[in-house]
Amino acid sequence: MSERPSIVIGLFDSADALMTAIDGVKPKQLGKLEAYTPYAIHGIDEALGLRRSPVGAMVMVMGLLGALTAFGFQYWMSAVDYPIVTGGKAPWSWEAFVPIMFEVTVLFATFTAGLGMLFLLNKLPFFGHPILASKAIAGITRDRFALAVEAGTKDAKHFNAQAAEAALIAAGASNVELLTVPQQAPVFDSAFLLRALGGISAACLVSGFIMYWTIKLFPVLPPMSHMLDQPKLGPQRSSRFFKDGHGMQMPVLGTVARGNMPLGAATQDEAAALLNPLPRTEQVLSVGKQKFTERCAVCHGSLANGIGSLTAAYGAKPANLQSQQFRDYSDGKIYWVIVNGKNAMPSHAADLSVDQRWSVVHYVRALQRAQNAKDEDVNIP
Amino acid sequence: MSSSALVGVLPENLRPVPLTVGVVTPGSLDDQVLAFPAKRPPRAWFIAIGITSTFLLTGVALLCYTIYKGIGVWGNTSPVFWAFDIINFVFWVGIGHAGTLISAILFMFRMRWRNAIARFAEAMTIFAVICAGIFPLLHTGRPWLDFWLFPYPNQRALWPNFRSPLLWDVFAISTYFSVSLMFWYLGLVPDIASMRDRTKSKWKKAIYTVLSAGWLGAASHWRHYEKAYLLLAGLATGLVLSVHSVVSFDFATSVVPGWHMTIFPPYFVAGAIFAGFAMVVIVLVIVRETMQLKNLITDFHLEVMNKVILAMSCIMGYSYFMEGATAWYSQNEYLLHAFKNIISGTYGWAGWLTISCNILIPQLFWFKKCRTSYFWMILVSIAVTIGMWFERFVIIVISLHQDYLPSSWRIYRPTLVDFGILFGSFGLFFTLVLLFARVLPVIATTEVKGILPGAQPKHGGHHE
Repeated sequence: MSERPSIVIGLFDSADALMTAIDGVKPKQLGKLEAYTPYAIHGIDEALGLRRSPVGAMVMVMGLLGALTAFGFQYWMSAVDYPIVTGGKAPWSWEAFVPIMFEVTVLFATFTAGLGMLFLLNKLPFFGHPILASKAIAGITRDRFALAVEAGTKDAKHFNAQAAEAALIAAGASNVELLTVPQQAPVFDSAFLLRALGGISAACLVSGFIMYWTIKLFPVLPPMSHMLDQPKLGPQRSSRFFKDGHGMQMPVLGTVARGNMPLGAATQDEAAALLNPLPRTEQVLSVGKQKFTERCAVCHGSLANGIGSLTAAYGAKPANLQSQQFRDYSDGKIYWVIVNGKNAMPSHAADLSVDQRWSVVHYVRALQRAQNAKDEDVNIP
Repeated sequence: MSSSALVGVLPENLRPVPLTVGVVTPGSLDDQVLAFPAKRPPRAWFIAIGITSTFLLTGVALLCYTIYKGIGVWGNTSPVFWAFDIINFVFWVGIGHAGTLISAILFMFRMRWRNAIARFAEAMTIFAVICAGIFPLLHTGRPWLDFWLFPYPNQRALWPNFRSPLLWDVFAISTYFSVSLMFWYLGLVPDIASMRDRTKSKWKKAIYTVLSAGWLGAASHWRHYEKAYLLLAGLATGLVLSVHSVVSFDFATSVVPGWHMTIFPPYFVAGAIFAGFAMVVIVLVIVRETMQLKNLITDFHLEVMNKVILAMSCIMGYSYFMEGATAWYSQNEYLLHAFKNIISGTYGWAGWLTISCNILIPQLFWFKKCRTSYFWMILVSIAVTIGMWFERFVIIVISLHQDYLPSSWRIYRPTLVDFGILFGSFGLFFTLVLLFARVLPVIATTEVKGILPGAQPKHGGHHE
């Protein structure tokens, strides 16, 4: 970068004068010609010999890319990664993807047109251009039309500023200025690096302090836990909804909880007629064995012979279910005892469901038969 | 053929109307328009922004209350789960459409008169979309989880349903906002460059320099700029037609009687432009009077916009008629019932208010006297704004409050919070409009400079 002027700029009063001047100065081939105008002027591209703008092609490519991107992510999400049938349509039916494909196409195309034009083609933002520091700029963005002869990058040494100045004045320009590209200081000098490091450290310290105190002062609050706070009736609370003012109400008379149908037999003799509703399957017997082992075997013994592990410890005398008296019991009578208890035996109604009780009855029958087997029970070939 | 060549050929009433009144030069334009941000605002401006920001703050307070307590503080209740929130959303998105229509579609049609009002209309688009965006975000109930609307990889391994018009809406509205903002900003860049080179203040110069990205006005930059602007206009044209169509899909793809109609997309787009033009007329009348811009925003501009309002009103009338005709011709008892609700149900007054404000009152614009008189144009525009808000009320609340199952029918009553947030959104809109009017150039000076007489060279080159 030399101190020699590399841009010569002159002002004109109208677009017409500018166009005439371009036609006059261009054939002299003094350097790169550039016009600076307050608004776009029709036909100036041809006069300056500028190529067509490639924005259209860029937008086309990026728009298509946007359409493909939208189709790709919708297809992959809806048909591959998380296929789900909505409205009876196949997960890969593409018609529903069209609206979002259109929107994403427009989005990609718009950002390409806008930012691509500013950043890529016009190389903006750039605040170091000599024209920005010139006297001419106030006129350019207002109502004046400037023509500049600029030294290209290649032939900078051969640039003849005096000849350019003369040519512009001859074309009718006023306020002709000679501009130099300012000397640029090297970016990575030690002072700059020190400043940058200092700035980064300061930013880290400040953000660290902010983070520390934020977390300290605002402990993690459960956000908006209104689902917990909603109006509801707690246990043992009063309520104005009911006449007696109690929040908790007794069930309606005669209400029966599911699976707790009452027995319908007041005494053991009445229960004798009850029939075991369960079939004698392997599954039922295995439930019966499990429940018998859990709840009965501790007293009655695992063979139901009245010798359990508690018998010796407490001197209790549980019934020997293998005795003739109990082998003659009907299923209903055994069931009645499980529900109501007998002598020292408590009720097991709260612990065993109806089906489990009847399963236990089946199992007791199986134990009785196993201990008093007949000849025909043994399969002798 | 240039416009000046036509003058001798055409009869007087067919000649192109001058787009500015009196002598306007590029320099005088800058002194008139770009001087505003440098001046101290008049007292009336402070009073106006005091009123609008009061509305805004009330709205913000009620918004916070809604977020804190949950949307149970609104009147929404089964079966009217969509109420003020969705009405306001559709209303504001519609207001925005006029801006894009003026800035993009009229640009594509080379309607040069749009240059003077395009900037303001675009700004109104952006502010209206901001107002609109608030409502669906709140409507979700837990706005702090709104990012769930976007498809992003998450621990739950879930993706949104791309078959839902509600998700299309998310994409349509966010694209619409981004594109409008880009369009607006690109238009502003050369104007901000002009402000940068006018201002004496060091701070303002620094801000304008950054905002204008160092714009120089180089011919090699203008060629890309013009092309990009034209492309953006083309893209925005397609977009403006798609956005309100997608909004109408939210309704049309459902099975609710009164919503399930193929006429909805064009009907919604026409209604959006209708409401938006009315809002633009109201704001422009105030702006040209208070900011002394009568020579740039001329009587011709207002008259042309009033003609658009009239045309849109006729399309709306046709749509309402078609709704009734569809209900009658289908002989579907649910559809017939839904239509009878509009004209004679509990909310029949809303139906008749809609019809009178949107169809009957705008017919005044057949008379040139009404098209050119402030009194009548403001009256009609306010009527249209009210009518179009109630049109969405009719579509949403009347259709929902009585659907297929009579056992779940219920009358909807909005709460004070509903009204507060609605007026708060108006406060937000007009606060932003007032701030914009003081901070940025309200007229696209660069674009107006380009269409002033003698702005373009006569020799060589090509002309339209």
